[in-house]
Amino acid sequence: MKKIVQISAALSLAASALLAETVLAVKVDTDLSGFKCKDEAVKLAKFTEVALYPQTTIKLNDKKANELNSANKAKRVQVAALYDGKNIALILRWPDKTRTVQQGYKSDVYGDGFAVQFATKFDEPEKLPYIGMGSDGRPVVIYLQKAVAKVYEPNADGVVGYQVNPHNTNRFGEDLEKFEKRVEQLAIRDYQKAFVSEGFRSMTEIKDKSAKYSADMHYVDAKKMWGGAVVRPLKDEYANLDKGAIPVALAVWDGEKLQRDGQKYLSGWIAVKLVGKTGGNRLAEVVNEKAKGDVAKGKELSMQNCASCHKFPGSSAPEYMAPDLSNIGGQATAAYIRESIVDPNAVVVPGYNRNSHPNFQWYMTDDKGNRTSTMPPFDYLDKQSIEDIVAFMQTLKAEVEK
Amino acid sequence: MSKRQLAMVMDLNKCIGCQTCTVACKTQWTNRNGREYMYWNNVETYPGDGYPKKWMELGGGFDAAGDLQPGIVPNIESDYGVPWDYNYDSLAEQNLIAGGMTPGLHPDTTPTWGPNWDEDQGDGDFPNDNYFFYLPRICNHCSNPGCLSACPRDAIFKREEDGVVLVDLDRCQGYRYCIAGCPYKKIYFNPKISKSEKCILCFPRIEQGLPPACAQQCVGRIRFVGFLDDEESQVYKLVHKYKVALPLRPDYGTQPNVYYVPPTEAPPKFDSEGKIIEGSNRIPIEELEKLFGPAVHDAIKTIKAEKEKRKKTGESELMDILIAYQHSDMFRLDNHYYQEVAKAKGMKPLAPVDERYIQGKHTKISHFKVHS
Ligand code: SF4
Ligand code: SF4
Repeated sequence: MKKIVQISAALSLAASALLAETVLAVKVDTDLSGFKCKDEAVKLAKFTEVALYPQTTIKLNDKKANELNSANKAKRVQVAALYDGKNIALILRWPDKTRTVQQGYKSDVYGDGFAVQFATKFDEPEKLPYIGMGSDGRPVVIYLQKAVAKVYEPNADGVVGYQVNPHNTNRFGEDLEKFEKRVEQLAIRDYQKAFVSEGFRSMTEIKDKSAKYSADMHYVDAKKMWGGAVVRPLKDEYANLDKGAIPVALAVWDGEKLQRDGQKYLSGWIAVKLVGKTGGNRLAEVVNEKAKGDVAKGKELSMQNCASCHKFPGSSAPEYMAPDLSNIGGQATAAYIRESIVDPNAVVVPGYNRNSHPNFQWYMTDDKGNRTSTMPPFDYLDKQSIEDIVAFMQTLKAEVEK
Repeated sequence: MSKRQLAMVMDLNKCIGCQTCTVACKTQWTNRNGREYMYWNNVETYPGDGYPKKWMELGGGFDAAGDLQPGIVPNIESDYGVPWDYNYDSLAEQNLIAGGMTPGLHPDTTPTWGPNWDEDQGDGDFPNDNYFFYLPRICNHCSNPGCLSACPRDAIFKREEDGVVLVDLDRCQGYRYCIAGCPYKKIYFNPKISKSEKCILCFPRIEQGLPPACAQQCVGRIRFVGFLDDEESQVYKLVHKYKVALPLRPDYGTQPNVYYVPPTEAPPKFDSEGKIIEGSNRIPIEELEKLFGPAVHDAIKTIKAEKEKRKKTGESELMDILIAYQHSDMFRLDNHYYQEVAKAKGMKPLAPVDERYIQGKHTKISHFKVHS
């Protein structure tokens, strides 16, 4: 009898641990389509704490940024979601001691920002897209909001080829006057974009207005925190999120540390459960899975099998040899790590540019233009060894900032 | 890798630092909309800190093993210098009302740096061994571009038909790793549209058989333009046949396609008595070696030998080329070639062959329904 009680206690613990990492999307009656992160409806939201880890998979070449980010810890971010039957809103709050805004006359200032990423296909949660920006055959849609100063800018409409010399009044005359009026109308620029992506360097901005969404962010000085929200339809041509649970990933950028692009804090896939809808348990299980391997054995195996190419504490791999796994446990699911060990071609992380570090190519291209990983499959390892490695890999992550 | 490569040779013996090239480029491409501070072509005085300030110390390029090196993104205020304007309007008003204020033309900000800030300063002891020369710089349209290697978005591309390096303005999201990656700091960030922009080698002109504006306007006639595989072109002869035109800082590993004939014609030095030191040269050879690599010794030897030959025999093909008699000889840009390319692509012969510059290379081929 005692034993049974113990087991059920352990089970309920496990269940609550699962829940703790799952974000609950609360159903609301109000229309969320114009939702801003300051709105009243925020009070209905249930915030969950999630850790975002510094992205270290690839190393970029900004000297100052690399110095500023070398000792980064993981960042705590509060996440909540609301949905109204038609739209879903993701709400974020995160600490940032410095409010940094990208300005229209600076070349080396980067704005703070955040992004919300949704997977397009997630019926098979073991095969979620690569967390960075999707992967071949596993697309994602990403919404990005950056803090920018409003700029008096004729190119705010994205017409970059447009240039008129205001001193050339002989040539332009009346046209110029009209042009200046138009400039004034267009002067307010918000840096708010939606992208589709299927892996490194495929990320493409959706410019044809086919993605209906809105995003905003605002800084609370007293708390030294940013708040931000992204609202998109539950269903559109890019993703159908009208399910029991959906996978979401979050990124934030700290402009003060010259962060942009890959230099950012990134979460792993988070399950967002739409309260009142059924299904989605499998997704929550997969994204929150802790591998049942032996960490110490896994470490030993990783040193033998992985450490000559991949960087992680204790390994001796050179800088650019292969993706850096220092934060793999904070960003990848157990399923993803498992898959990458036995089938490295399933998701190829190509490195930011193969010209950059020609000595270490992360992939080859076959006749059909498919990228194949230069990592050999480690499918000959027995099941338990793989579990041990996965368990060890899951411990690889930066400490969480206090 | 590009099939053909367009190249430019600049003869530093002939550059007079008049900045006509700079103006030709600036008025054509970069006069406003966030491009005010950009000098796709600039002419700096060497030795000097150049533009942006101390660009040679800002990193980028490749190490001997071929790995991209980290670099620094310059700051508009301190490294480029904010482009200032003058108080024209208030001046005009003052003249009209002739009021008490002292009329005068002054900048609207206090300038601290700018293109050619250290103009004609040079180095050395006046009048004994002081020296300087002008160094016009454009993007080198490198064969192994640091900018392209640094871009995580694949937004920079090198055109197959002529090796011109362009930014795909649709794909560029303004990350600025390219600026850190270019050791020449010849790619600029447009802070208004948050995209990088650079010298486009006047590709819309080139496609019509016209040389880049800087080359055509150059009063010193220092610039030659042609395809490196075209043995008839003077560029080919200067670079490959006589080997007197050398890339700037070849040690950066980007394989530049702008070549320089090193300055050989500096006056001799004076001794303490004020007499000419025979055989001396004011420009320290170490400086030239730093700029153009060890090949500079042979290049100088060849130029001097050909000069002698010309004196004695009246003949030297190299001297004839360097004199630059005819624009038609200096620029060999077969516009038929581009017309063929256009035809093969099913485009109108008059439109620029490459629309990706403004339209986006990948947007069209994306798997997704996203139009330009
Ligand atoms: S000079 Fe700089 S900007 Fe031009 S191609 Fe080379 S690396 Fe790129
Ligand atoms: S126009 Fe010619 S001579 Fe004048 S600065 Fe430019 S390159 Fe030199």
